[in-house]
Amino acid sequence: MRELQSDDRTLLLHAALDGELDAVGMIEIEAELAADPALAAKYAGLVELRDAMRTCVPREVAPDALRARVISMARTSGAASPTVPVPRRARWRDAPYRSLAASLMIGVVLGAGAYGRFGAPPAEDDVQQAIVAGFIRGRLSGQPVDVVTSDRHTVKPWLAGKISGATTVVDLASDGFPLVGGRIDVIGKAPVATLVYQRREHQIALSELPTSAGVTISEPTRQSRNGYSLLRWADRGRPYEAVSDLPPAELDAFGAAFRRAAAAESEGPNLQ
Amino acid sequence: MRPEPADEGQNSRRAVSAGAGVVSELGRRRFTEMVLPHLDDAYGLARWLTGNRADAEDIVQDACMRALASLETATIQQPRAWLLTIVRNTAFTWLAKNRPKTVLLTDDEQVLEVAAAKLASASPNPEEALITAADQAALKSAIEALPHLFREVIVMRDINGLSYREIAAAISAPQGTVMSRLARARALLIDGLGSRN
Repeated sequence: MRELQSDDRTLLLHAALDGELDAVGMIEIEAELAADPALAAKYAGLVELRDAMRTCVPREVAPDALRARVISMARTSGAASPTVPVPRRARWRDAPYRSLAASLMIGVVLGAGAYGRFGAPPAEDDVQQAIVAGFIRGRLSGQPVDVVTSDRHTVKPWLAGKISGATTVVDLASDGFPLVGGRIDVIGKAPVATLVYQRREHQIALSELPTSAGVTISEPTRQSRNGYSLLRWADRGRPYEAVSDLPPAELDAFGAAFRRAAAAESEGPNLQ
Repeated sequence: MRPEPADEGQNSRRAVSAGAGVVSELGRRRFTEMVLPHLDDAYGLARWLTGNRADAEDIVQDACMRALASLETATIQQPRAWLLTIVRNTAFTWLAKNRPKTVLLTDDEQVLEVAAAKLASASPNPEEALITAADQAALKSAIEALPHLFREVIVMRDINGLSYREIAAAISAPQGTVMSRLARARALLIDGLGSRN
């Protein structure tokens, strides 16, 4: 036991040296250093080593040739892509009259399409597209959530302040899907609550859609889109849509776990 | 999703020439923002792990290619730690293949301790040794003599200036492991330098 304590103290000494202790920890270790000359000598040795590392061992600088190779590698691996689109504007400048006619045509077609849809709830396809886009954006930006918390009791009030109606938030950590946090997506014109759960390196974004969003299926249905798996279902009239980069079977497991936990919560609200 | 980048056992030069496949404009922009700023740290770590420049360059180039391939799908909260993870894995794969006798990769801290004990000198009061007397070459060779798993944490901390949290992310280990390895690495360095004087 004494051995362990002495080991812990050594680790704290290093943490103090590295500026990794909080103020309380620093005060404690400073008091110990003042009281214990042997410990103080050890600390002085560590400071000397650190200073020697700083002055004698320079930080390496990547050779210019390596930097150039790496940069050109990033550039050329993209150029190998056969799908690089030619910027439309540049092509149109070569043929101004044709472009005028073409843009008028496009305007007419788009306008007609938008008019036909105006005011109607977004179609299922648009909902899915928005959900997948939200997921990809969250993955790319490295900020998949607006509120970071593994505590559902933090997410729920946060969401409640942003959208109307209560969102179902369940804790699935014991099922292997810890909660990362929540965010607001906009689908069609409506703000939508989206929860993000984690599974290993993967994430699952679960959106609870407004009832009018055009999703009516109540049994879980799986689809895939742009290589992502989607799972949709409805509970008590509320449509849910989950998207993930997980293998489809694991997304099914997530859906089952969420439905089970949500059902348990609605049956025993007094326990919460 | 996207297939895993290069095979673990693949020769680094061949992997580089194979190219990273199709990379979008966004992937390249993220590469510029997240990888290029940490190239010096990546090279420094590879240099300390392999012990020579040419191999370090190969490893960094291979690691950058892997980084490029996974940039679009990975969630990256700490870009520097993320890149160093890839560099470290690439370096250890390379070492296991090319210098299997020098590298000891184990999560068993006891096995590591035995390896470290072989290095430790019998100096009775190592703390009293004057490190300021140690010249650059002595310090460098003492660092190079450390087992790889100790070496990488002290390089990341004292040379590259990473926080415990970043190191823990880079080596995929708890902070407690980072702390104990760091403490052990420093004790070994102090021992090693003390025995020279």
